[in-house]
Amino acid sequence: MTPEDLRFLLVGAGLFILGAIGFLTRRNLILMVLSAELMMHGVSMTLVTFGRIHQTQEGQIFTIFTLTVAACEAGLALALVLSLYRKSHSLDIQLWSELREPDMPAPVQDAPARIDDGSGSYGDTPKLTPAGIVPKDPPRTKSSAGASSART
Amino acid sequence: MMDWLQAHPMTVVGLVLWAVGVLWLMPGKQAGSTRPKIPGLLLTAAGLFAFCLSCGKPQTQLADEVMFWVFAVSALLCGVLMITARNPVYAALWFALATLATCGLFLLQSAPFLAAATIIVYAGAVIVTFLFVIMLAQQSGAAGYDQKSGQSVMATISAFILLGAVAMTLQQEKLEIGVPVVVAKAKETNAAVAPSPPNMSAMMQASGSGSPAGLPTAPADAPEEKPAVPGNLLSSADPDHAVGDLKGLGRSLFSDYLFAVELAGTLLLVASIGAIALAPRREQGAL
Repeated sequence: MTPEDLRFLLVGAGLFILGAIGFLTRRNLILMVLSAELMMHGVSMTLVTFGRIHQTQEGQIFTIFTLTVAACEAGLALALVLSLYRKSHSLDIQLWSELREPDMPAPVQDAPARIDDGSGSYGDTPKLTPAGIVPKDPPRTKSSAGASSART
Repeated sequence: MMDWLQAHPMTVVGLVLWAVGVLWLMPGKQAGSTRPKIPGLLLTAAGLFAFCLSCGKPQTQLADEVMFWVFAVSALLCGVLMITARNPVYAALWFALATLATCGLFLLQSAPFLAAATIIVYAGAVIVTFLFVIMLAQQSGAAGYDQKSGQSVMATISAFILLGAVAMTLQQEKLEIGVPVVVAKAKETNAAVAPSPPNMSAMMQASGSGSPAGLPTAPADAPEEKPAVPGNLLSSADPDHAVGDLKGLGRSLFSDYLFAVELAGTLLLVASIGAIALAPRREQGAL
């Protein structure tokens, strides 16, 4: 193994490690899938380097198959993310923390995201002078109702 | 381990700087705690520089050297920026850049078809689909859960310890990747039987002689010292084609691995059917 091969292997290991950190720390569902893809880049780099060390085509061929499986995985993962999003109206992974192992502690619940507080307080919206008759309360949108029910 | 620490101080320094930079750039536990990004970027870049510098001094041409540096540093830096980006759209774009840099490294390793296929699949299909989903799901702007990260310190430290272990294993002096047991046995039989049998060992020698010009490792004066390393014995390297040659790649793919290619096509079909079945229906309501 020459130093040239060594540094390609180290770059592959670094990409894998970065993907692992991203998968462990991020809370966005899509970013977790993307981090897994970054890990797969590191594996591909290592495979190609090993193929070149051994002077055979097998590294590249196996990487092509890995690419195929990664494409399938991305499609299926996005379908799963969409169906999860339809249920919870958020991409937060912590909303699905009830699927954890029974002996694991519950994650720390944080303040609700500011997308959908559903309480009618809209923060920085401009105030208009009231005029005319007082309208009825606007019906709560489906998205905010679903999100608040999913959080509780 | 202490020997390795003394022999490769640059690796350790690079890893530590890199880890601190990643930790600096990572969103904290509380939302809204925004550190300035410049020191984190500088730390990360310095760590990457030291890490790549510790990988040895290969005897390659200047152009290859410059290309490797550009692609490797940009791939790793884009990876760091991807996992620390607050905005998922930016994270997807950084991932696309990391993919492009990885494809550049594939090109340097004489894998042009693989580079093209990766760009087409990832940058062309995967990233666009991910961006669609992000824009569909986060129409209201930045969400609170993107501004935080869970257990970033533990994850970063353990991951970089793992990377240090990998680097230590790879930088062992006596590590000799690429000499499988089969070769040693074949060399023994080749030495024992004076008229060399025309089956396996001849094939191995043929596979070893087809080394491309891109690998300046094997000294020409001592071909016996560097053992010819065949890969899979079922498909030894074609001596007429160098590694990464598109003709040899296609021939091997559609002769030795034909069943696996058919299987991969079936897998794609099953995955597309599964994605259609999993995706939300229209009558179940809009997103």
